Amino acid sequence: MNRASDTTQHIDLTACDREPIHIVGSVQPHGFLLALDARTLVVAQASANAPVAASAGAALENAFPELAALARRYLDAGGELDGAQYLRTVTLGSGATRQAYEIAAHRVDDLLVLELEETDDASGEAGFDALNPRLRAFVQRLHTAPSVEDLCQLLAADIRHITGFDRALVYRFDRDWHGTVLAEDGNGVLPSYLDLRFPASDIPAQARELYRRNRLRIIPDAGYAPVPIRPATTPSGKPLDLSQSVLRSVSPVHVEYMRNMGTMASMSVSILVDGALWGLVSCHNGLPKRVPLQARNACDFLTQVFALQLSAKVRGEQAEQRLALSAVQARLLGFMAEEDSFVDGLFNHPNDVLALVNASGAAVVTADRCRLLGSAPPEREVRALYEWLSARGEAEDVFVTEALAEEFPRAQGIADRASGLLAISVSKRYASYILWFRPEVVRTVKWGGNPVKAARPGPEGGPDRLHPRKSFETWKETLKGRSLPWSLPEVEAAKDLRASVLGIVLRRAEELAAMSEELQRSNKELEAFSYSVSHDLRAPFRHIVGYANLLKNRESPNLTEKGRHYVDTIIEAALSAGTLVDNLLTFSQMGRHALNKVSGDLNALVEEVRRRVIRDVAPDRTVRWEVGPLGRVYADPAMLRLVIENLLSNAVKYSRDEAAAVIEVGRLPPHDGEAVFFVRDNGVGFDMAYVDKLFGVFQRLHRVEEFEGTGIGLANVRRIVERHGGRTWAESRLGEGATFYFTLPVREEAN
Amino acid sequence: MAALKPILLVEDNPNDIELTLAALESSQLANEIVICRDGAEALDFIYRRGTHERRRQQDPAVVLLDLKLPKVDGLEVLAKVKGDPDTRGIPVVMLTSSREETDVVRSYNLGVNAFVVKPVAFDEFFAAIREIGVFWALLNEPPPHRGGWPSNA
Repeated sequence: MNRASDTTQHIDLTACDREPIHIVGSVQPHGFLLALDARTLVVAQASANAPVAASAGAALENAFPELAALARRYLDAGGELDGAQYLRTVTLGSGATRQAYEIAAHRVDDLLVLELEETDDASGEAGFDALNPRLRAFVQRLHTAPSVEDLCQLLAADIRHITGFDRALVYRFDRDWHGTVLAEDGNGVLPSYLDLRFPASDIPAQARELYRRNRLRIIPDAGYAPVPIRPATTPSGKPLDLSQSVLRSVSPVHVEYMRNMGTMASMSVSILVDGALWGLVSCHNGLPKRVPLQARNACDFLTQVFALQLSAKVRGEQAEQRLALSAVQARLLGFMAEEDSFVDGLFNHPNDVLALVNASGAAVVTADRCRLLGSAPPEREVRALYEWLSARGEAEDVFVTEALAEEFPRAQGIADRASGLLAISVSKRYASYILWFRPEVVRTVKWGGNPVKAARPGPEGGPDRLHPRKSFETWKETLKGRSLPWSLPEVEAAKDLRASVLGIVLRRAEELAAMSEELQRSNKELEAFSYSVSHDLRAPFRHIVGYANLLKNRESPNLTEKGRHYVDTIIEAALSAGTLVDNLLTFSQMGRHALNKVSGDLNALVEEVRRRVIRDVAPDRTVRWEVGPLGRVYADPAMLRLVIENLLSNAVKYSRDEAAAVIEVGRLPPHDGEAVFFVRDNGVGFDMAYVDKLFGVFQRLHRVEEFEGTGIGLANVRRIVERHGGRTWAESRLGEGATFYFTLPVREEAN
Repeated sequence: MAALKPILLVEDNPNDIELTLAALESSQLANEIVICRDGAEALDFIYRRGTHERRRQQDPAVVLLDLKLPKVDGLEVLAKVKGDPDTRGIPVVMLTSSREETDVVRSYNLGVNAFVVKPVAFDEFFAAIREIGVFWALLNEPPPHRGGWPSNA
């Protein structure tokens, strides 16, 4: 439909714009024109068919005293009304030259322009009253018309009835200024144009501007010979501006166009909604036809009432849609506010997301995520679309199209899902978009003749002169790759949602900032706490152990066997309490300290830890170590050492009752992007029923007198591994040993 | 022959003093052991002022310094001693309960000669103190004295 971009069309329009239709310098012959000095009422210009008495230079006072009186009254009343104003009907001359005229007046700069249009009926004064009941009935029915099309139908019928034309059309412009006939009323003399489209070039830009300024035009006889205005220029040396003129001669192109349509008389009334040209009422007659001024005024009035009603109806429909959409929007807002991520809020309520703009599919796309909803194109295509949108880099927050492939040709492949696109940018910095899609709606439009061909200059036209098309035969065209258009309230709903999302994102950011401040504060407190634990809690345990040992070593002879047993118990208890404090401190340090990851040889680390661990192995034990190739890992060596230390000393500890302990350390093939390591022993093992408790803080599966320990070691292992992005688990059977696994992400592995 | 240099123990906790002394005792060192109960007193001793004004001009063989001390804390004492060219040569061993990494890092940044976390276990503690005493008091050769002519005061 966007034929304005067609090269042929473009040339055509440019040429048409050169037609100076508002200063043609001539009038139609069904009346005459006088341009008078507004102060002296001396005739400055007159059309060649004006009475000789009113030629240029004559004083109107002398030529037609009654006209002069009318003119004075008009000027005294201000005479500044936009457009020509009907003054009254007068009869000039006598006998054979006696003629009734309808007088219209308007101002052009310092000139007063009087136009005297011949009329058959001297009793035209009564016309308006005669039409009054009809107008009233029209207004009544307008109120009850259910749709815009019905309104248009009413208008076409009434205007044809008032004027008696063979056919009346109500014609609406689209966004590209192509016209579509929405309603038609006719008597069958002329062909029906209902539903036909007419290309924008039929009514070029400067004609549309004239239509906007001068609401009503009439051509009683397309076969007329134009009457020149003399002299050709006003006293200030310019051609007379005829934009407000009722007798203005029209472009020869237009007259030829009329003849091609088989119409000898025409009248058109502009439909202005909020000051903009919405459409036209276009009336035609097969034979020449005059329409009395009163009837024309009635048509103008009807059309204005219609425009008001139309505007109210459109606004009402939009308001209704806005109301419906705002209810959806309010719900979505609530959902988004409830969830941690606004995206979840949207995706948990897909129906509302789609209903917000009446879309059939949607997507939320960020640099690393793409979530689809409803009938959306495949992710690959959405990604491509996202790249294209981001690359546009324009400052627009909302992108709307009903023909995506025209702007993004790759979208031809997804026309069935995404011919229409409504996109809002949620974050420029992180390039996030919410996209809504509408499917292709294949439409067949009927043009009044091939719109492309018609725009070409005819062979008999000169290089500058355009030739209107001669054929009005219906020319069908199928529009593909287009969706139903997005309405204003829908686009606004999307914009509002964008504002809400930005608000939520902003609030989230503030909350996060506050939370991180709070976390920092509590982390500091925790640090202070563990600092004093480190200093003040360890000391008393050390003292207890120290003094108890002194007692045992130095005062032993003074103690009974029982006393020595008591001292030993004190030492053991205090020692384990001290160890517990140490382990707790390690545990809290694991969480607080930053990871300092470097790449290193895990076999070297295991060997170092192993040497240390075997120092604690009772000399009478034999342990066979089987350490496989472990490769290099990317981890914090100090923390990973704790992991290995815990696992190896556990393996040693829980296998101590085995005559031939075997401890195995190895690496499994990578799985799901993870390197899997294990430490296996053939010791006492554990009951898998308790496997979930194994890695918890203070969780022990054995009695203290069986195996010493604080129950923090494996909690430390899990904590460290998880901080590295890995996982821990264990497998065992009572009495058959245990295997502890931990993983580290492979992608971070530095080779 | 010059007298054996004293060992300076800076510690406010009487239990720790007693246990440390017991441990040093078992190492059978002949060095005099001077005890200061806070950081201010320790500095007075090192710089021979206040109650220690009249002591012999002789740097301690080693300073066993606790981290948490009344008045002037261990890190401040360490900073003062290691920041002064005249006293920088005195070996300082942090002997503390703290297992906080930050304390260790700061101490080394200030130039501490060793950082020892007092173990909870008695045997280890005794062994540690004995080794420290023997190493610093007997085996370690301090830098030559650069304090100018001995004072005749």
